[in-house]
Amino acid sequence: MSGPLAALTDRDTYRGLLFLSAALPLGSLWLAALVAGWALAIGLAITPLVILVVIGAGLAAELAARAESGMARQLLGVPSYPARHRGGLGAARNPLARARAVISDRAFWNAQAFLGLRFLAGVPIAIVVLSLFGGGLFLITSPVHYRWIPQETGSHGIDFGIWQADTLPETLLLVPAGLALLVLAANLIRPLAAPWRRLSYRLLGGPMTDDYRPLTEGQLQRGLVIHGIVVGCISFLLVAIWAFTIRGYFWPMWPVLALCLPLGINAWTTLTLTRPDLVPPRLGRGFAIHAGVTLALATFLILIWTFVVTTADVPNYFWPIWPIVGLTVLLLGHLAIRLTAPADAELKRRIDVLTTTRAGAVDAQEAELRRIERDLHDGAQARLVALGMNLGMAEQKLATDPDQVRQLLDEARQGAREALEELRDLARGIHPPILADRGLGAAIAALAARSPLQVNVSVDGERPPPAVESAGYFVAAEALTNAGKHSGAEHVDVHIERNGGRLVVEVTDDGHGGADPSGAGLLGLRRRVEALDGRLQIVSPNGGPTTVRAELPCE
Amino acid sequence: MRIVIAEDQLLLREGLSRLLADNGFDVVAAVEDAIALRTCVAELRPEVALVDIRLPPDFRDEGLRAALEIRSTFPETATLILSQYVELAYAAELLADGGGRVGYLLKDRVFDVDEFVEAVRRVGQGGTALDPQVVAQLVSRHRQGGPLDRLTAREREVLGLMAEGRSNTGIAEALVLTIGAVEKHIASIFMKLDLPRSEGDNRRVLAVLAYLQRDPPP
Repeated sequence: MSGPLAALTDRDTYRGLLFLSAALPLGSLWLAALVAGWALAIGLAITPLVILVVIGAGLAAELAARAESGMARQLLGVPSYPARHRGGLGAARNPLARARAVISDRAFWNAQAFLGLRFLAGVPIAIVVLSLFGGGLFLITSPVHYRWIPQETGSHGIDFGIWQADTLPETLLLVPAGLALLVLAANLIRPLAAPWRRLSYRLLGGPMTDDYRPLTEGQLQRGLVIHGIVVGCISFLLVAIWAFTIRGYFWPMWPVLALCLPLGINAWTTLTLTRPDLVPPRLGRGFAIHAGVTLALATFLILIWTFVVTTADVPNYFWPIWPIVGLTVLLLGHLAIRLTAPADAELKRRIDVLTTTRAGAVDAQEAELRRIERDLHDGAQARLVALGMNLGMAEQKLATDPDQVRQLLDEARQGAREALEELRDLARGIHPPILADRGLGAAIAALAARSPLQVNVSVDGERPPPAVESAGYFVAAEALTNAGKHSGAEHVDVHIERNGGRLVVEVTDDGHGGADPSGAGLLGLRRRVEALDGRLQIVSPNGGPTTVRAELPCE
Repeated sequence: MRIVIAEDQLLLREGLSRLLADNGFDVVAAVEDAIALRTCVAELRPEVALVDIRLPPDFRDEGLRAALEIRSTFPETATLILSQYVELAYAAELLADGGGRVGYLLKDRVFDVDEFVEAVRRVGQGGTALDPQVVAQLVSRHRQGGPLDRLTAREREVLGLMAEGRSNTGIAEALVLTIGAVEKHIASIFMKLDLPRSEGDNRRVLAVLAYLQRDPPP
């Protein structure tokens, strides 16, 4: 099954739902613990007891972080975390040193940030998601239960303000609406869980390399358009209802305002994700999104205040100033962090990445050389030995047994042909000549011609630099080979384009999925791509389809 | 038959010269790069130019480019490309003008001296010689459900040999058939693929190649 309904039968949807709704109890618990811990620490700040409080907080933060990361691993499928929870456990014996270790440990602060976010962002998200699911289930089951819902009028049914569903046919109409709500809710889980997945890995582990079924730019933009259309339709409907009913107080502005806030945030996030060139690199995308959300919230609050002041007879105290001050302080704090630490932290991260990818590239090259050596040794070399032997024997028998000489020569010729064939395949695997001569389009078309599958190839844009071109070629080649060998696919689409400063290679097959990204071939590819500062994404859910996507910077 | 060889590897150049001279060809020049090849062809006007794709100075596709140039400026010189690799894209470029007098073979084909000599001769006489690997790739582009499915196994064999550029006699020898049987198969292939009837081995080969090169229906 595919399309929007697929999310309903996807186990990941319900795992994600469980993770998101766990924010209700857990988020509240974490918040209580954070508040209590900080209050205790501040209260005891001038006494030596604070040392014990800090050590305790370190332990508590670590345990909470372990619980959360374990949950993310189980429910969101986050790959295993690198060991970073050093925290207060097992460090120095001396309490003061231990407390200092806790405070200077980044993991301690990161864990607190995560726990705080689990309440601040997690609880509203959980409420939204649970309401959607609950609402959907409520509507679907309404034909069964409507008769037990009492109304003010004394009858039974479901009251929507302008319309009461109080007969069976009327409630049957609600079933598709409930289904639609469920489908919407199920499809929201992944996009809502994805940031948590990344956040969890970032804050509770190390840098994350692989995304959770990434959304392409096209999907993001399409999502935004659909979001916009939905908001537009609902707004229009509300205004129409207002216009055709009692009029008077213009109540639709409230729901419309509430709908516009997420739309604005979505639009801004999509813009920063699809046009990374617009974001000043020094500030980073995270800050850009934060600034946009702050601005949207501030506008939202000011608009609410304006509506209230202009339509109701209340004293016009400008209350939004307080939340706005709070938001601005947060934003400025973020800005300060970005502007002070970044050069160093950014550099450090870059060095980490470079060290890892360089090691990966060296490993990959080493493995490749070993493979070539083995192939030469087992293949062409062995054949040439046999060929020489045949020729030697032929020479020996030249005078005595011309018939056998003919046979030996025939074998020698066959052996030479096979050796040549193997060398040719080997050379093509190192670097296919047609790639250098004619570029990706011709080289991949040649691959497609040799593949047993039906391959559609589309290649756009000018030729990238040779190293990028060759990495792109091998991504397509490996993905095609895998599709042919393991996936059970019949059709494969290879799409290559220059997109801004990147070469994007995307190979999608219609097979049964379940590709193992840690297999030798795909691992080698990843190293090759990462050595060029690129990204390789492999999305291969069980049941398919498999998409291998590489983005390689080329400038 | 007068012939020019362009091959950068000395061993192979000498070997080819000897092989062709032994088989009654007149090797008028053997050069090692594309520039020398162009001058040779312009001055000596050989009947066949035997060209390696990769030639100095860049070792990319200089030989192929030179061959394409020779085809347009000296159409009376037939070109036979000899390479370590066969690529459909290169074959398509060579066949693009639809004029024949062209060949594209793997270097391995030299192992079978008789067949190789026959291929050189055929190209020199205005025919074509395509490597079986090129033909296999051309055929495999046409997948299930297409008109090629209507051919019998034997007819497919005949089609393949025809695409390689062999004459009816050559096909008959290779498949151990009578010439009459081969002609019957060919007539049936042309009917099933809806190709116009054309007389003469060479015109038929070109029609088959044009058909195979067409983009297959989706």
